[in-house]
Order: sequence, then structure tokens, then C-alpha cells
Amino acid sequence: MKSKVMIVEDEALVAMMVEDMLDDLGCEVAGSFGAVGDALAWLGGEDPQPDGAVLDVNIGGEMVFPVAEQLRERGVPFVFATGYGDLPRKGFESIEVLAKPINVGQLRVAVNKFRPD
Amino acid sequence: MLDYAPRDDAQHADNGLLTLIETIEALSATRTISEVADVVRKAARRISGADGVAFVLRDNNQCWYFDEDAIGPLWKGKRFPLTACISGWAMLNRQTVVIPDIYLDDRIPHDAYRPTFVKSLVMTPVRMEDPVAAIGAYWAQEHTPSPETVQKLQVIARATASALESGRLHDSLVDARHHGTFLLQELDHRVKNTLAIVQSISRQTLRAASSPEAFAETFENRILALSKAHELLTRRAWGRAQLEEILDKALAPFSANLSDRFDIIGPALTFSAETSVSVHMTLHELAVNAAKHGALSTADGRIVIRWSVEETASPPMLTLTWREVGGPPIVGTPERKGFGSQMITRGLARDLGGKATLDFTPDGVIYTLRAPLSQRMSLAA
Repeated sequence: MKSKVMIVEDEALVAMMVEDMLDDLGCEVAGSFGAVGDALAWLGGEDPQPDGAVLDVNIGGEMVFPVAEQLRERGVPFVFATGYGDLPRKGFESIEVLAKPINVGQLRVAVNKFRPD
Repeated sequence: MLDYAPRDDAQHADNGLLTLIETIEALSATRTISEVADVVRKAARRISGADGVAFVLRDNNQCWYFDEDAIGPLWKGKRFPLTACISGWAMLNRQTVVIPDIYLDDRIPHDAYRPTFVKSLVMTPVRMEDPVAAIGAYWAQEHTPSPETVQKLQVIARATASALESGRLHDSLVDARHHGTFLLQELDHRVKNTLAIVQSISRQTLRAASSPEAFAETFENRILALSKAHELLTRRAWGRAQLEEILDKALAPFSANLSDRFDIIGPALTFSAETSVSVHMTLHELAVNAAKHGALSTADGRIVIRWSVEETASPPMLTLTWREVGGPPIVGTPERKGFGSQMITRGLARDLGGKATLDFTPDGVIYTLRAPLSQRMSLAA
């Protein structure tokens, strides 16, 4: 069964690539969002929760952390993907960070930990 | 030339010119206000032979007794209104004041002086044209300092002014260096983000390419479009860009004179820096398709670009259309799932939280974007 992965990424061009990479890695894109509010609304909605998530950190000037908190509460594993070298991420120090540009090998390792129920 | 021959202050004062020069040198080596104050209080006392010296800073409308060196406590650390102390008077009036007996001078707040040893004083402002501080010398007896002593205090005040000035310069250099580090970090982030975009383009161009040559051509054109998009961002200092400017830049490679091929009408609309790149890339892909298969592939095909904002909607909604006319007849809907069609139908719409459609009508392609106004896209003020 394919892992269903959520993407939060404000840059459309980068999001398209992450979607493409996930597709290559045998995952299904459960939802792809360009804004923190949209991502939160989706998580709070009727759709089944994802098996994992790839989160950009700075979403159009807004921090992605509320989404990360929601995912953590639900026990959904996730990774950050960011071009910022060392962005403060209080409370999420243990979460893996993928650098941008994205190394697909690293992404593979990360999504292999996203196991569908 | 200063006359430094000892006179009335001889028994207390070190009146040597050497001391004055040493003081000036010491002041020029200072980096902080505290260091300046430390040099001033000691040197001014030694040179004037006074029983006490205070270094007073102007802090807006207050005198701040910053540091002192005296036989008994003065007012170190205290603040008084400029109008309520003699250092304030000296700074406001931009002149040195000599008071042989403070209790005979009504500019002096006598109550503030009673707990102290002070009976007479000299107060000289620092930076005469616009005082930022003052140096006070105090004596325990009624006393009239010699003109030379007053002059030397004024020399110290002038050296202090330049020391404070270079201290300020030093502080601003440190600030600038911090700012520079911040800019470098931001640059690092933007470069990495841009490289991620290039990575995205290369990956998805490769996927749809029929040959290495086809890949190279399409990829290079996309990188050139991205580069043009960045030119606009740089020119705008990474601020907002106008839709008209983006259209000019993105469509220029397709028509030497835009109005020959394009009808562009719409209200002034601006995009955030990041979204401007998506707008530019979307327009590029639409134009590439038009040049290959649509209205720009014939001698007199045209493209009508219109946009408007429904301001009564909440939030206000943009509708933008790209309608091709005069191109070759279109039969059916081509199968597309490459980067171009992804960018056109999903990319920008996703950025803006809206919807985009690409319809292949018999008359030509119609691209429609509907999206709410937001921080990323707004009407120009």
C-alpha cells in the first residue's frame, strides 16, 4: 500500500518537484498546500490523516510550526525541508531537516519511515 | 598656542601640555562611552586641579550624570531635566560657564548641591555646535579658575566630542557588520531556494524531453525565463512587482513589439516577490505553447490578456484570461502532463489559493485563472 504524504510548501515550482519525487518514490500525495491555514483546515477536515508529511519551514513569511504541532499530536511522522541553514525550531529540534535543493536519496530515507497503517 | 604656565591652580594642577596631548591620545583610543568617561574624569581633574569632575551625557531632555571623579560623592547615575541643572544650561546655551560661588548664582539648584562639597564650578559643553555631553569641574572653596585652565577643559571637551563621534562610528560599523551577516544568510537562503527551483525545472523538463537536444533547448529557455524573473525582483529590491512589468519581461522574447501580438488590459496589480516568479514562469509557458502550437505560430495570431477584480466579493476575486485568437485550428485536447502544463494549471493557482483552467476551444486556447486577492496578490495602491 502506498504511503499517503502531505506537502506544505509555498513555492509552487518546488512543490511540483516534491510531488514528482514522492511519486517516483512510490508515494501518493495526500494533499499539497501553499499556506499554513489551508494545511490546518485540511488536517481538521474529513479527509483521512496522512501517513507522513514534508514541511517547508517558512511558508510565505509564516512559520509552519502549528501544522507540525498538529501532526505530532496525531502521531504523524514528518520532516522539514528548508533552504535556511539553521532556522530556530523550538520544540522540534529532533525532527529531521532536508536541505534544499532536495537530495532525493535523503527524501527516500525519510519517506521509508512513513508507514501506512 | 596654549599658555600652560602655572598660575593660580599651580599647587593642584598638572598643567603640562604633555598631559593634554596624552589625554587626547587616550581619548582617540576609546571605543565606548564608558571608556571615554573614564579618561575624561581623570584627565579633567588632573589638568584643572579641581576637587571633583563629572562627565554628564545629554539624554534627550535630561542630563545624565554618567561618571565622576571627586573627593566626595556628586550625582553619579542620576538624571535631571536639562532645564534644572547647570550642565543642562551649558548644553542648551552652548557655552562654558564659570561660577566662583554657586550659592550666589540662581541658575544653580542649590538644594541639589547642599549635600555635596561643591562651592564653585566650571561647566563646559562637549561639541559646541550641538552639545551631546558636558564636563564639570568642581572646587570645595570659592574659586575662580584661570583662563588657561578653562581653555584646557575646553580642549578636553573638543577631544571628547571627536572620541564620542568615532565611538558612534565604531558602533555603527559593528551594526553594519551584523547587518551584513544577516544579508549573507538571507542570500544563502534565496540562492538555495532558487537552486531548488532550478532542480525542479531540470527534473521535470527531463521527464518530458524526447531527446537531449530537446531537453537542452527547453531547459535553457526556462532558466532564461527564471533569470529574467529574478532581474525584476532585484530591481524591486525583492519587493512587489507589477503585473504589467512581469508581462513586459516574460513576453518580450516572443514579440519585439508587445502590442503587435498582445492586447493587455487590466487594473494595476502587484505580486509578492516569490509569487512574481510563478507568474513569470506561467506566462513563459503559456507563450511557449502559443509559439509552438497556438496564436504565436501564425503570422497574425493575437493573444488577448484581460484581468479584473470583483471587489464586492469577500475576499475580492481576480479573474484573468489569456485568450488566443487567429492561431491554427485546434482539434481536441492535446495530452499534456509535462512541467509546462503543470505550471500553467497548478503552479500559480496553487500559490494564490485559486483555480486555473486551460481550455482548447476551436478558436484557440483559453487560460483562465480565478484567485482571491491576498498578501501575495493585491491591487496597487
